[in-house]
Amino acid sequence: MINLLANALLMSTPLLFGSVAEVLAERSGMMVTAIEGIFLIGAFSGFVGAYACKSLLVGLAAALGSGVVVAALYGWITVYLKQHQVVTGTAINILVAGLCSFLMRVFFGVPVIPLTVEPLKKLPIPLLSGIPLLGPILFAQNALTYAAYLIVPVAWFVLYRTSLGLTIRSAGDNPEAVDVAGEDVDALRFSLVLVAGAMGGIAGAFYSIGYLGMFTTNIIGGRGWIAFAICFLGNWNPLGALAGTLVFGVAEAVAISMQSSGGGQLVPNELLIALPYILTIALTMARRSFNVPGKLGVPYAKEG
Amino acid sequence: MKARFLDLLVSVAAAVFLGLAASAAIMLFLGKDPLSAFGLLASSLIRDKYTFADIFVKAAPLILTALAFAVPYKASLFNIGAQGQFYVGALVASAVSLAVGGRLPGVLGQAVALLAAAAAGGLWGSFVGFAKARFKANEFLISMMSTYVALAIMNFFLRTSLMEAKHEYPQTDSFDQGVWLPLIVGDTRLHAGFALAVLIAIAIWLVIYRTPFGYRVRVVGYNADAARLAGIDSKRTYVATFFIAGALAAAAGFVETNGVQHMLVQGFNPGLGSEGIGIAILANANPIGIVFASILFGALKGGGVIMGQMSGIPASIIEIMEGCVMIFVILSYFARSIVERRREKRELQRRMPA
Amino acid sequence: MAAPFIEMRDITKLFAKVVANRRVNLSIGRGEVVALLGENGAGKSTIMKVLYGLYHADSGTILVEGERARIESPKDAMSLGIAMIQQHFSLVGPHTVVENIVLGNVRGIIDARACEGKVRDLAGRYGFDIDPRAIVRELPVGSQQKVEILKALYQDARLIIMDEPTAVLTPQESESLMGFVRAYAEAGNSVVFITHKLKEVMEVADRIVVMRSGEIHGERKREETDERELSSLMIGHELPPLPPSSPAAEGAPVALRLELVNARDRRGVVCLRDLSLSIREGEILGVAGVSGNGQDELCEVVCGSRQASSGSVRLGERDLAGVGIRERIELGIGYVPADRQRDGVVMEMSLAENMILKSSFGKVWRRGPFLDLRRIAASARKAIEDYSIKAPGPEALAKGLSGGNQQKLVVAREVEGSRRLIIFNQPTRGLDLGAIDYVHTTILGEKRKGKAVLLVSTELSEIFALSDKIAVMYKGAIMGIFPKAELSMERIGLLMAGYSGVGA
Repeated sequence: MINLLANALLMSTPLLFGSVAEVLAERSGMMVTAIEGIFLIGAFSGFVGAYACKSLLVGLAAALGSGVVVAALYGWITVYLKQHQVVTGTAINILVAGLCSFLMRVFFGVPVIPLTVEPLKKLPIPLLSGIPLLGPILFAQNALTYAAYLIVPVAWFVLYRTSLGLTIRSAGDNPEAVDVAGEDVDALRFSLVLVAGAMGGIAGAFYSIGYLGMFTTNIIGGRGWIAFAICFLGNWNPLGALAGTLVFGVAEAVAISMQSSGGGQLVPNELLIALPYILTIALTMARRSFNVPGKLGVPYAKEG
Repeated sequence: MKARFLDLLVSVAAAVFLGLAASAAIMLFLGKDPLSAFGLLASSLIRDKYTFADIFVKAAPLILTALAFAVPYKASLFNIGAQGQFYVGALVASAVSLAVGGRLPGVLGQAVALLAAAAAGGLWGSFVGFAKARFKANEFLISMMSTYVALAIMNFFLRTSLMEAKHEYPQTDSFDQGVWLPLIVGDTRLHAGFALAVLIAIAIWLVIYRTPFGYRVRVVGYNADAARLAGIDSKRTYVATFFIAGALAAAAGFVETNGVQHMLVQGFNPGLGSEGIGIAILANANPIGIVFASILFGALKGGGVIMGQMSGIPASIIEIMEGCVMIFVILSYFARSIVERRREKRELQRRMPA
Repeated sequence: MAAPFIEMRDITKLFAKVVANRRVNLSIGRGEVVALLGENGAGKSTIMKVLYGLYHADSGTILVEGERARIESPKDAMSLGIAMIQQHFSLVGPHTVVENIVLGNVRGIIDARACEGKVRDLAGRYGFDIDPRAIVRELPVGSQQKVEILKALYQDARLIIMDEPTAVLTPQESESLMGFVRAYAEAGNSVVFITHKLKEVMEVADRIVVMRSGEIHGERKREETDERELSSLMIGHELPPLPPSSPAAEGAPVALRLELVNARDRRGVVCLRDLSLSIREGEILGVAGVSGNGQDELCEVVCGSRQASSGSVRLGERDLAGVGIRERIELGIGYVPADRQRDGVVMEMSLAENMILKSSFGKVWRRGPFLDLRRIAASARKAIEDYSIKAPGPEALAKGLSGGNQQKLVVAREVEGSRRLIIFNQPTRGLDLGAIDYVHTTILGEKRKGKAVLLVSTELSEIFALSDKIAVMYKGAIMGIFPKAELSMERIGLLMAGYSGVGA
């Protein structure tokens, strides 16, 4: 049970990075529909960086950088050229998918044994991990998960207690008010998209170098979209995103443990694999979104 | 109107050209020679009857999955679930084909499989429309997630009741020859499915642009508020368009299983859904444009396979080309809007007295 | 005399389809209240938006205190002390009053309590009764306007430009606004008041600038002019008077009857209260009231887009409970909505396609399973001719038409499509005088045809000119229904503000 919860927290990590980043961007009015592609390029670059330079740190840096580059392309087209966010995101996701398989093949050919790197190790915090029950769950995780703990409070504070956060929240509801107040709406949105790129890249890298230790072309399998969905389900609030992420983390941990422990006798394997997606569908229908940013998805175009 | 159409053609052609150029740049960057690769692609396509016909074989299911995105798009809805609807159609078509193959006369068997697949796909798709209508749920997310669920369902059946007699691989037995779609050109793989897809595209065009129903779909897509005051029920439109979309993608499943594979294999044609989206965007959701764009993508895919076999460039270059073309199309939308606005302003300045 | 505070020289501004300002010269002095007068489309908002940095002029210069100024954005304008309050407020609805005022004016971590205090003090200084913690979208429109004013004051504005500020206020709120304008000007600040209402201009302005078709057509000091002169400067010619409307036939059957209708909005708040009225065939009932007092909901309950929670709505003898919008259209109810771009017209479709918006269900336009495009186009061409719609043809997209022509399209469609009752909600909002005249003539024409007409408008002059009976709405209830002759401007103003006392 403790193992299950610890695993849940582990699996939540990338979803937390992704969904909080999405919350910040969407609060300003931008849907980052390229998030799946950003996760993927993060996973790919993270692996390539770690494998080539034998350093996880280089991998993470590569993941962050490549995420930002992809986000910059998406941001340029949607924020500055004011093109359609769903269409652009889809195009970029297709391009990134092709690019990752292509480069994988070009760099490594078709290896007989799959290439691996040593994934992130657990770093138990000396005294705290000894606490009964909570210790092994909360304080015996890897570095990325510890970083994730900080994300929610930081994001919450910025969004609700600083002038930047006020501006972000206003931009999503009435960008003209922000423009009139003298802030650059497009620059703000573009920056938040870049932040989503950085955080999404790291989230993607988690799957390849933080957990599995290798890269396959369908390693992300829609989890970028789940992070996207969690933003909706969490009502565009970092705390809500945290709640949503934990739910999914638990679902995924349960699925993994049942699969490995031969639970496939009771419940078909396929159902377990499909669980996170069915959960998303159910929750999307149940949640009546109250807090949709008024101008979400609408490019801001000045008149004169 | 003529000027706008010309604009459209020029910008699409430019986008395609630039997209291919961008992929060529990527190839160059990685030390492969793009000119010879593209030359190889072009020459191999017209080299022999088989390869040329294969373009249309590949285009057939693309036409249908592209229409599956385009129809809801006309109602301002996003169907990202065509891949899953395709799998549902393939699954049902296979199950029915295995059941009736040899027991019903050929054409009848095919028709039954097609109708069953379309109905199943339609129901699967209409679930998304229903969720949107009843719960105001985000159809984008739900349709996308539904693909993964459909995949799981298909894999389940392939592992259990539909698995081949040998129980070696996750796939079905081959269908009885009676339910295979007939070939329309001998010595090739080109089957009736292509003709079917084109006919369906024409029918969809007529429905969207020439019938009251299609008119109402477009009104809902452009302005749901005005539609409501005009007595048009948006909710019914949501369900109807998603039903049609699901049926279309499912028909693509039938076309592939009964026209090409003659069996159901796990995880086949995994990119049809996204490619369909790309084609629909390229063709601006116009059914006739979709036919041509599908043929273009079919040529890219066919050529890509050959490039992969012959020149050591991985087949995934295809996706890179598709993605690049799509991005350039989006950029061309931007370019066109700027040109349009400048033209109007110049016109005005000419007419204003000093 | 010292250089004027603001001077605009030779400003020209073009948009894609129209010349909005042509060589406009305008100056504003310190402590001066300037009224910018003109009908809709004259270019008044445009010239002020250029001053405020929302638009960039195509040519011309702006001088502030004699120095050339570069105003490229509202931020530049604000730093020079220029603020503008637009018709559509730039407020963030879900946020509080403080959050709105402080947006862009605070850095780093927000000290909520200090900001609240500052706002409270500022509001107190001008006598505004506003709770800093209130959520903006829940405030009445008059208070929202005060928030906008506070925002300008918070940033030490020396010039406040107001664009049609009284359009959304009750007569009493307008009085209070005028009081603020006078006090503010007396303190040495300037105000530019954009309006088309002559009465307000004569009340509060020091100097009046009249614009027409993008140019300045006259400038007068208030003492030196009167309403008649201003009116003729504004219009440029005498309008032919409307044909006298014949009184409604006494015994005509009742076409529409509402009895004790109540309705609630999505949050359960009551928006219509025990509302009763009736309209006979060939009669025009005008509904007056400040916008936001239930007029839209009344129209919705009649056309079918809102269900009454109790009470009855009858068309002739037929009870409309449970009858949907589509059926009501078929029963002969037409509706010209207030927001034509959102509710009346599909901007991306052609004129012809817009004409069949409400009649696509029947057999009328069908040829087999398909639409008879030729017949639709022919019918659209006839409408273009009959209603003098300025458009290149039935294929023209609605978004390419001017506001006035779009409204003519909606009016044409609703007039053709309604048999028994037609509702006009703010039918002349945003239209130029020619189009306004056309709509008025059409409304009178409908009455002659024997249809019942429900006319909702915030323009009292329009209500008085056209109606047989006048109802006044306040907070979702009808304060009274009177034959036109029995109402005076003063009495109607009191009713609109909620005073139901008897007496003239």
